[in-house]
Amino acid sequence: MKVVFQIALGIIAAIGGFVDIGDLVFNIQAGAIFGYGLLWAVVVGVIGIMVYAEACGRVAAVTRRPVFDVIRERLGFGAGLVTLVASQFVNLLTVAAELGGIAIVLQLLFDAPFSLFVLVAVGVLFVVIRILPFEGIERVFGYGGLMLFVFVVAALNGHPDWSKVADGFLPHAESSLLYAYFVVGVIAAALMPYEVYFYSSGGVEERWTPKDLTVNRLNAVIGYGIGALLAIGLMMTAAQVLAPAGVQPETLGTAALAANVNFGETGLLLALGGMLFAIGGAAVDACFSGAYNLAQFLGWEWGKYRGTRSAPRFTLAWIAFLVLAAAIVLTGIDPVEITEYSVVFSVIALPLTYLPVLLIARDREFMGEHANGWLSNVLGCLYFAIILVLAVVAIPLLLATNGGGG
Amino acid sequence: MEGERLDLVYRVLDLQLVDVDGRRCGKVDDVELSGEPLRATALLSGTGTFPDRLPRRLLPRLARRLVGRFVLGGNLVRIPWEDIDEIGATVRLRRKAVDLGLGQGDDELAPVIGRLLLARREGP
Repeated sequence: MKVVFQIALGIIAAIGGFVDIGDLVFNIQAGAIFGYGLLWAVVVGVIGIMVYAEACGRVAAVTRRPVFDVIRERLGFGAGLVTLVASQFVNLLTVAAELGGIAIVLQLLFDAPFSLFVLVAVGVLFVVIRILPFEGIERVFGYGGLMLFVFVVAALNGHPDWSKVADGFLPHAESSLLYAYFVVGVIAAALMPYEVYFYSSGGVEERWTPKDLTVNRLNAVIGYGIGALLAIGLMMTAAQVLAPAGVQPETLGTAALAANVNFGETGLLLALGGMLFAIGGAAVDACFSGAYNLAQFLGWEWGKYRGTRSAPRFTLAWIAFLVLAAAIVLTGIDPVEITEYSVVFSVIALPLTYLPVLLIARDREFMGEHANGWLSNVLGCLYFAIILVLAVVAIPLLLATNGGGG
Repeated sequence: MEGERLDLVYRVLDLQLVDVDGRRCGKVDDVELSGEPLRATALLSGTGTFPDRLPRRLLPRLARRLVGRFVLGGNLVRIPWEDIDEIGATVRLRRKAVDLGLGQGDDELAPVIGRLLLARREGP
């Protein structure tokens, strides 16, 4: 019974940890502009992250190899280095975007300058990472992120036209570059590579073995599956509240207002609180991912479980990520803009990240009886094809639509 | 590990090195071959191998400047083949990292960052 309880706690944390600033920005904007029309893209994205997270977690549990070990091993030094540079650039932008997001939400709650809140965010995250054990960090932010369910309740409360909602879940094309840009953005926001770097390294941190494969599958499928409801709730609420009023959400505050319309001040506070925890958790994940990648590529000792003195370069790396990201966001670049760039550029790092995982997860020599079954193989290859298409079209669409600005 | 046939590129190169205490202490950055017929006689680890591992056409001079010995100290550690215990998901060594000259970066930084962050002394 205790085991079941522990598993449930982990899954609940995964649900609350699903959404980050990329999902918030893209899903809310997509809902405001296209109504329910892009709900299908959320589903495509979430199945993708389920497939890859499950594979990464399985490889970590069976071979005790996290993703960047696998990348270097299978791509070799040169291509591995290119992947490292690309993914670290995206990780840094992501941490900067999340820090900016935290500062925006704090500004909606308290009256003080943006830059002060960036520094507060850095300070609080630093202390939380130092004090809490790995599992504690995941859970605190994951449980807090559950407050975002206010958007799911708001979406249901808004008496949606269910036939239109159902239509939104059917994939369809529109001859508009902006629509294509948001398809890429919504899918990419769900598939951010830092999530799998963190997930697989987390599996090693928590000392997963093949006995934990069920936990891995439940986390990936149920945790992310229910977590996607949050993303759907965000998009539907934006479609109901912002789209009819013709409001283009320029900041995260507009999105929180959508919850305010439904439930007054309580709704607003839940929405902002949920955003704070979800974005804060993602900031830690992306920050750690940067440190994991560097340490795993270069062979350094790594992991929160090892402690500061045993893994000093790893510790220095995550601190450096936090500081550099703060420097970026303090330059005054709009965090929403940084978010869009981090999501779109992440698409370029995706194929190089996922190909080695796909190759090793299906390799019986390494994985034995736990190698990919037919479903994992078919879905893995299908999603690799989707990622390749996204990687080719992402930057041209970003330029053609002026970053979604039309 | 004597007398075995191994696909060096596929099964050895770029693997994580783990010492006898389970400490991660570098990567297999290169493999030394010598003798007649050629045999793998040692593993090489450290930034000193990096310039030779980059594609030749990729601005070799610039690469040497970026990751060469002047910048990163040209650190290169030779691990005799006899010191390998097992090659699997990682390369497990028979000796401690410190005795092989591995993991020096962590050893040098540990007291500094430990003091700065007021970290407790932990076991390995």
